[in-house]
Amino acid sequence: MNATARIRQGLYYAVLWGIAIVFFLPVLWVILAALKTKKQIIAKTPVWFFEPTLDNLQRVIERENFWKYLRMSVFLSLGGVMIALVVSFLAAYCFSRYKPRGTNFLMFLLLSVRMVPAAAVVVPVYLMYAAFGWKDTFLGMVLFYAMFSIPFSLWILKGFLDGVSLRYDETALVNGGSRLHIIFRVVLPQVKPGLVAAFIFNIIFVWNEFLFNYIIGGKSVTMVPVQLQAGVNSGGSADWGYIAGLSTIYMIPPILAIYAFQKYLLVGMTFGTVRGEV
Amino acid sequence: MAQVGTRRLEGVGGIAGARSRPRGRPFRKLDDSRFFPLVLLLPILIFFLIWNVVPLLWLVGLSFYRYDLTSPEPARWLGLDNFTAIYNDAQVWGALGRTLSFMFFSVGLQTVLGVVLGLLFWGSSRMPGRRLALTLLFAPMLLPPIAIGSYWRLIYDPIFGVLNYYAREIFGQRYDFLGSKDYAFPAAVAVDVWMWTPFMILMTLAALASVPKAELEAAEVDRLPWLKRLWYVVLPHGKFILMLGILLRTIDAFKTTDMIFVMTKGGPGVKTELIGLTVWRRGFASFSMGAASALAVIALLIAIAFTSIYLYVLNYRETRGQFR
Repeated sequence: MNATARIRQGLYYAVLWGIAIVFFLPVLWVILAALKTKKQIIAKTPVWFFEPTLDNLQRVIERENFWKYLRMSVFLSLGGVMIALVVSFLAAYCFSRYKPRGTNFLMFLLLSVRMVPAAAVVVPVYLMYAAFGWKDTFLGMVLFYAMFSIPFSLWILKGFLDGVSLRYDETALVNGGSRLHIIFRVVLPQVKPGLVAAFIFNIIFVWNEFLFNYIIGGKSVTMVPVQLQAGVNSGGSADWGYIAGLSTIYMIPPILAIYAFQKYLLVGMTFGTVRGEV
Repeated sequence: MAQVGTRRLEGVGGIAGARSRPRGRPFRKLDDSRFFPLVLLLPILIFFLIWNVVPLLWLVGLSFYRYDLTSPEPARWLGLDNFTAIYNDAQVWGALGRTLSFMFFSVGLQTVLGVVLGLLFWGSSRMPGRRLALTLLFAPMLLPPIAIGSYWRLIYDPIFGVLNYYAREIFGQRYDFLGSKDYAFPAAVAVDVWMWTPFMILMTLAALASVPKAELEAAEVDRLPWLKRLWYVVLPHGKFILMLGILLRTIDAFKTTDMIFVMTKGGPGVKTELIGLTVWRRGFASFSMGAASALAVIALLIAIAFTSIYLYVLNYRETRGQFR
């Protein structure tokens, strides 16, 4: 490669990096705010360079119930998604191998309901939860999040299972393997990428979820986003140091997940309907 | 014996396995039975029944009633009155229209920007630090919408917002982006565009990756001009994935609630009130569940229509698409 070509390529990469940074700038601004003093945050002239302070982060961590809300975020997203994965893997295996009548219709319905504005779904779910006394219970919330994660898991796993040849099932069956052996020992290992993608992205979706937690949750199952909303809409002057600190801590896991599982991003963001890598 | 098992497997329903296998172990009996597929389906059917069918029936049923949580009156049958009330409700039509224009502007801008930037990122596979750069680029769409809304409250703030500082430097005046009637809606669209343009970049990259290498090389050999290359080689292959991306964004833009809720609560006035927020308000601010349900039924029908279109295109791609 000659010198001009190399310079052109360097410039090209610099432009791409610049675009990525521009998109990240608003997020960066909040991370910076988390490390500023109150005065620096509300300064009329934006402060870009300053001596970082950990006061805000410390205040967030020491705030009453912080660990409780964070723990709830972790438990609800892990629990809901685990249940969803088991349920939808079994169903996806059945759909893929036995093709019972109504498969397409059921998959369509599940996906449609997931595509409805949350505000519309929350009305009947709220009334149901209130009537059955499931409001503000861990079980009610975690099962709801399982349902929240099932459509996507089902779609993605069905796609992956359809890609596993029936010959595997046949060979194992001929050699005397039981059905359960085939499902869990022969087929399951081959759809690991699908399981990982469904796991990671559903966790992020539940992690970010707000409205249902706000309406059908309650004091004992509150997750961090509800707390964040309360901070922003607290009326009067919001405590921006606290809000910035809390959201900075809360967005670390999704950002790490995007970095670590980037190759699943496409399948994750299209609910398992488009596969491939970028 | 083995052949029987093999053949049955490819059939539709029953899967009686080999009869001669040793009996007695509990799972064997289960998984040899004809009900085995049903056992696999049972958990999802239970979930579907309790969390989809019951709320759906509840919702549709309730939409014919007057049911206010604030009044002690029991639910009263109204027939289609809730729906006629919605039909005559200027506020609902306003919110629907606003949602449509929100969808139009934000999805349109995202698509244009995403395709342009996606094309720019096409040759980036050997870029140093690509993974980190893409993480920064894709971060906006995977952060909690509630957090996104609060960031932008901070950034748009009329007094100490960073955007206002630079607006004053450049245009010589301050703007109350979220508080003014003229700017609140475009400001909300701008946030959505910022948040979801990366998604359209992702879909564009996926669309570009679906173009066969051989055809691109042939175009190179033929020295096809750049624009023609896009039109005749890339577009025929890439259009399906791009279409799916646009449809997914359309569905998702229709759902936008959280981000608006924390940023403007629909205000000033109703300038940024989208349909999701209207349903929420009917249900949980005025507690008239019947009216809210009727509105939710309409939202549900719209969502089902969008999903049908999406799946139609997806199916079309799989059965008739030139690739895969």
